[in-house]
Amino acid sequence: MHKYMLLLYDVPSAWAKLSPDEMQKAIEKYMAWGQKPFVVRGVRLANDVGRVIRSTGGPVRTTDGPYSETKEILGGYYLIEAETYDDAVKRTLDHPHLEYQGTIEVRQTWE
Amino acid sequence: MSQPSGELLDHLFRQQAGRMVARLTHVLGPSHVTLAEETVQEALLRALQTWPQDGVPGNPAGWLFRVAHNLAIDSVRRTQSFGQKTDAIVAAITQSAQTRETPELDDQIRDDELRMIFMCGHPALSRDGSVALSLKTVGGFSVKEIARAFLADESAIAQRIVRTKKLIRERKLTLDLPNGPELTERLDAVLDVIYFMFNEGYAAHEGVDLIRQDLCMEALRLGRLVAGARAFDLPRVHALVALMALQAARLPARVDDAGDLILLDDQDRTRWDERLIFLGFQHFDRSMAGAEVTEYHVQAAIAATHARAADASSVDWRTILELYDQLLEMTASPIVALNRAVAVAKVHGPAAGLDALETISRDPKLQHYHLMLAARGQLLAELGRPEDAAKAFAAALERGCTDPERRFLLRRLAQCTH
Repeated sequence: MHKYMLLLYDVPSAWAKLSPDEMQKAIEKYMAWGQKPFVVRGVRLANDVGRVIRSTGGPVRTTDGPYSETKEILGGYYLIEAETYDDAVKRTLDHPHLEYQGTIEVRQTWE
Repeated sequence: MSQPSGELLDHLFRQQAGRMVARLTHVLGPSHVTLAEETVQEALLRALQTWPQDGVPGNPAGWLFRVAHNLAIDSVRRTQSFGQKTDAIVAAITQSAQTRETPELDDQIRDDELRMIFMCGHPALSRDGSVALSLKTVGGFSVKEIARAFLADESAIAQRIVRTKKLIRERKLTLDLPNGPELTERLDAVLDVIYFMFNEGYAAHEGVDLIRQDLCMEALRLGRLVAGARAFDLPRVHALVALMALQAARLPARVDDAGDLILLDDQDRTRWDERLIFLGFQHFDRSMAGAEVTEYHVQAAIAATHARAADASSVDWRTILELYDQLLEMTASPIVALNRAVAVAKVHGPAAGLDALETISRDPKLQHYHLMLAARGQLLAELGRPEDAAKAFAAALERGCTDPERRFLLRRLAQCTH
């Protein structure tokens, strides 16, 4: 069994239009998915711009992360177990994030 | 403290959103209702971001309440639109946030909601605007949900709400309840808004859409909220609540699994909601205090008469006919006249019903009304005149009607021609 990382990106402004009822349903769906047996860990990232540290040959520079209301940002990640990429993708296809216009990047981890 | 897979109560967010908007609007002032709404939305978003990982907090409503207050303080400081009042408003929000979970808090929130409904029901606002804004603020419905419930365009509803908020700012409407005769007038406007909201939800549109039932239940909730306030513990308020509860009790039996309409006579009465019937009769009893008889009273009495019958064959149609006679004297509404004609047919036979229909069918408002034509077709069929009945059903089909009604009429038409 291998481990795969799911990187969840979303557009923050997309949530503003959901009704309270829809927000509640979204929470229930996210919670239910997180309970699946192959989920090793899930981490939600803080709701801020973050920092980016770059070295481009010169001195190392730290800046506030790129952030805009209309741009996709990384919102959190999961570590899941799966045999193959196909398997990992299949296990991810019913993640509620995809119902809410989110993007999920699937990456295998080295062990 | 937390429960990772905790189940949330149905519509918890919708209810809490309404309460929090009412609370924050009270603290921030009615011209900042949009800020209150945005803050509440942000608090719900925080829940979405943290609960799936941390689990549902032990007291979800309290968590939302606290977060919404903190966010409100942040945005009041940030927007600067409060000018010199900023510190005072921040202090007021802080104080509001510290209110403990006590019966006093419940009273406070009920009071906030009530004030909000009474502001939304101000006569300076249009009734459509009042209904939409009430649903959006105290109801916790989104623009999209309201549009779906009203079968209206989303942008039209959004504009209606913007216009209503603008009027509130321009007219400097407050959350203070008026006094004396003005209070009575406002109460009647509020009851009218609630009744209109209920009827919109109750109209036999595409019955499978649950949002329409939600509209009825929200109207009932608001009605109970008003009836529960000491100042409005009045017979006509209880009559309105009674009529809504007794009619709403029939909602589960009104459409079949395919979404087709089931007429009152054919409904499975075991599917009527007993709790709502019980609630309806409780308020009906309280509506009897005093001598006042309003339209709501008579409508409630009609619904109560239906609810009392064990089955369709034991409905006391004589009483219902008397009640429609009484209602007709009060309203002169062509729709009431149509319902009365149906009651006439039940008591005195289809020929008498048809005569009653003839006298009102000249009313220009009813002449082309599909339900009038459908009732006519029904009575003609009962009189053994299938060709004439078919004509009436076909004419009804040509008028504007909803999909469940269309399917119903097509079934009736097929029965006449076979």
